[in-house]
Amino acid sequence: MRRSPFTLVFAGLLALAASGCSWSRFDDITGDSPVLLLEKPGSMKAGFGVSLGTLTRNGQTSVLVGGAVGASGAALYDLGDGASPSTTALDVAYCSGGSAQCFLSSSFGAFANATSGGVSRPQCYAVGTGSVGTSGIVIRCSDATEYPLPVPPNALKLLDFSLRESQPYDYPMATDRTDDPVLLVTLPEQQMAWFYPSQSTKPSELSAPKGVLDKADKSFGSTLAVLTVGDTRVLAVGYPGKSEVLLWKTDGKSGSEYIGCLGGLSGLGRALAAGNVNTDDVNDLVISDASNVHVIDGQALATLPVTESAECSFSSLPEGALLGSFGCGSSTSTSNCEGSSFGAAVAVGDLDGDGDGEVVVGAPQMTVRGESAAGAVLVYDVETPADAAFAEVKFLSSAESSDALGSVLATPHIKGRDVIVAGAPGNGKAALFYCSSLLPHGAAGSRCP
Amino acid sequence: MFAPVSLGFFRRRSVLLLLLLALLAIVSTSALAQTKDNSSKRLEAIRSEMEKGQGLYVAGNYVGAAEVFEAGYTTYPYSAFLFNAGVCYQKQNDVDRALAKFKEYVKVDPNAPDVDKVNQRIATLETAKATALAAAAAAAAAATPAVTDGGVEADAGVVAPAPKPTFVLPSSDDQNAMKSLVVIETEPDGAPLRIYQRVDANAARFVLGAAANAGWKEVVATRAPANLTLDVGHYHVVVEKFRDFNASEADMAVSPGHVHQLKANLSQGQFMAFLRVSSNVIGAHVWIDDKKKEHPEWGETPHGELVPGGKHVVLVEAPGFEPLLSNVELEHGEQKELEVRMSRVNYGVLRIDSSAPSVNVKIDEQPKGSWRSGEEPLDARADSGPHKLVIESDGRKTFEGTIVVPRGQILPLRVKMIPKYPRGPAWTQAIIGAAFLGAAIYVGSESNRLYDQVKKDRESGALESSDSRATRGKWFAVGADAGFVVAGVLGGLATYNFVKDPLPESSVKPGKLLEFDDPLKARPVARVETKRRPLMDVAKAQPGPRLQLTPGASSTSGGLFLGGSF
Repeated sequence: MRRSPFTLVFAGLLALAASGCSWSRFDDITGDSPVLLLEKPGSMKAGFGVSLGTLTRNGQTSVLVGGAVGASGAALYDLGDGASPSTTALDVAYCSGGSAQCFLSSSFGAFANATSGGVSRPQCYAVGTGSVGTSGIVIRCSDATEYPLPVPPNALKLLDFSLRESQPYDYPMATDRTDDPVLLVTLPEQQMAWFYPSQSTKPSELSAPKGVLDKADKSFGSTLAVLTVGDTRVLAVGYPGKSEVLLWKTDGKSGSEYIGCLGGLSGLGRALAAGNVNTDDVNDLVISDASNVHVIDGQALATLPVTESAECSFSSLPEGALLGSFGCGSSTSTSNCEGSSFGAAVAVGDLDGDGDGEVVVGAPQMTVRGESAAGAVLVYDVETPADAAFAEVKFLSSAESSDALGSVLATPHIKGRDVIVAGAPGNGKAALFYCSSLLPHGAAGSRCP
Repeated sequence: MFAPVSLGFFRRRSVLLLLLLALLAIVSTSALAQTKDNSSKRLEAIRSEMEKGQGLYVAGNYVGAAEVFEAGYTTYPYSAFLFNAGVCYQKQNDVDRALAKFKEYVKVDPNAPDVDKVNQRIATLETAKATALAAAAAAAAAATPAVTDGGVEADAGVVAPAPKPTFVLPSSDDQNAMKSLVVIETEPDGAPLRIYQRVDANAARFVLGAAANAGWKEVVATRAPANLTLDVGHYHVVVEKFRDFNASEADMAVSPGHVHQLKANLSQGQFMAFLRVSSNVIGAHVWIDDKKKEHPEWGETPHGELVPGGKHVVLVEAPGFEPLLSNVELEHGEQKELEVRMSRVNYGVLRIDSSAPSVNVKIDEQPKGSWRSGEEPLDARADSGPHKLVIESDGRKTFEGTIVVPRGQILPLRVKMIPKYPRGPAWTQAIIGAAFLGAAIYVGSESNRLYDQVKKDRESGALESSDSRATRGKWFAVGADAGFVVAGVLGGLATYNFVKDPLPESSVKPGKLLEFDDPLKARPVARVETKRRPLMDVAKAQPGPRLQLTPGASSTSGGLFLGGSF
């Protein structure tokens, strides 16, 4: 059959259009994408991705993303148990200032199980300070209940003042990742630190030897971490203004004892994190200084003797306690480590699901794809002190200038492994990096290569 | 007494006399030529009538032949027509008319050499007529019934009319029965003539001055000019000594139903010969012994005239035909018919005009000239046979086709040049379509580029769900697809509008074939028998989607034109 030129031209163009320019392929390739941006709730006007918290209970994992410290609330996201996490906020009433006055903290405490008034409550986050009937640490659970944790009297005075005058002060918090965690809280403004033993609502203040604290430096407690070393909890409180990290230990049920101070490196304590880095199945401490990240064996920390010495150095650590130290490396996708603020945030996560964690380091000022301060997250595998090695870098595919990705980090646990959640407060983003190149091919489902 | 006359007077008178003589010579020559021409044409007309009647007679059409002879006699009162008409009536058993014609023949030409034989024919016919009448009367009496005393027919019936007599006239006339007209002239007139008929087929050649020429019989003694009616046979014409001229003689064979002309130029002492030149082309020009055509033509075919005996070169020409040279030899007093068959030249002329203000003509890719409105049609000469004809005109569709140029003729071609269909909308659509196509290609390539980036990020595990590049690339793809579709639609429309052409193709309408112009006279009329052949070959002029077949026909030919342009 003879076809007219009209038909041939038309058919050719249609074929070209159909073969080369189908728009549905973009839907296909972005469907089940390896990186998910958590949607910023419309109610969060001031900042997003400034702080992060995560917990897992009964295989269900959630992430709490906070806004501007003292000025905003936080939103809860349900990551579920598989490859289809919800990117829409499940609950945006965390420290939102709705029914109760609340000032959001720069870091959160997370409770897989919490007890209030003798009632066990699931999935609760300590998100800030405020007044829920009484003044204290505000806890909000997934069942939408809120209750306060009392604070030490000196802190309460300031809190009352803060609430009365609507002048927020930051109360950084941290918990370990056990089912019944210890909550560590600091008040940098008054150089105070206290903790709540497991299943306890009674604060227990941390006391430091004389000469350790400098009343003029308000950086005490701006970073903190809780390590689980068997039945012992090691409480690490950063003092970046003095380039120190103060350590306490507790059995998690009663008081604490000061076990020393790490120092001697510029900017030490900029960020702290706890997690199982090596294979001893206890938490290790990750500390960043001005340019490097150090991994200290938690077992070694737990064995440090009680001391009254105000000296701060690494010399007090037993031999082999330093599992590794590394700086900003380079890869094909990263550049300009100089000025990248490498180590602004650290976290530990078992990204490959092999039982020991990888060190995740934020570099929020790193230039990515020509976008200055877009920020990136770098992953290091530290098995032994000798083989700390760069593993991969994470960044947003649509990186924008001043994203500051990696300002805060979290490693939610999903299906036997951890994933990375990184905040990019510069442009109000929070991204869930679902995949890792450390995973075997096909091990993480259709989202991952 | 003679008055003294000056020498100058004589000189002036001599000049005047010479001028007068020259004028007289010119006038007399002209008048003579005119007379000669008229006489020649008259004889030609008589010859035509006589031969026409003879032809009908031989064919057995006695009625038609009689009519021709009767008409011939009315126009040209020569007794041969009367006799021949009488023979035709006799063949029809029309005794009364036959007798009337024979009697009139004897009356108008009492000195005819065969008057005795004609009178005998009259008597025979009258006897036959009387016999037939008597037989008829007897038959009528035998058929009359008995009459009663009262004189009333017994059966009181009606008296039957007498039967008309039936004639069966004796006639041994064959095709040689027709008499011929023999015109004998001398220069000068008045010479005594004697004509002897060979009565014995074995008779020896007539010898002038011999005591007796056995087998020869003198049938006519008269003076020239003489118009004689003679039977078919061999004759010997003798012009006796006249004035200071010697005697002349010539043999003459008289054919049935013809006109023979003999002219004796006594100053040359011999008879002229008669040459008639005919051709398949009527009106062809004939020159005798003048190959360079330095003198006026001898005549136009068919043409017959007395010429001196001997060898002659005959040149026959007609426009559109190859010139023809023939050698002919005539004896004194001989009448010869020279029929030439001319063939057409191997080229022809296309006479082109058009409906367009101007056209350019190419034959076989060679420019042949231009034609503009108001001018005479363009004559383009070409070898006969098929040729590629291309006719172009600004703003009009070019005509292309194969045309068959006739041999030696003019083929008028009226070219109808159709304006080109406007392509403005098609160009507009094509340009807009191209713009859409270009934009679609650009946007599509951008989409592809973004897709590649996104895909790479996906493979590296860095792709986020709401990557703006994916969104941008998706819209680019949508735009590209839309652009391709719009470009395709516009391209299709443009293609259609480029191809679409509701107007017919330029065409050529052939006219009736014409003969070449004849500068010597009006156009000749060719009597050439031509086979019907197509003027145009149906040929594929040029590949393309639009073709047109235009039927064309003339009285002698027909065919199809194939044309197309793009």
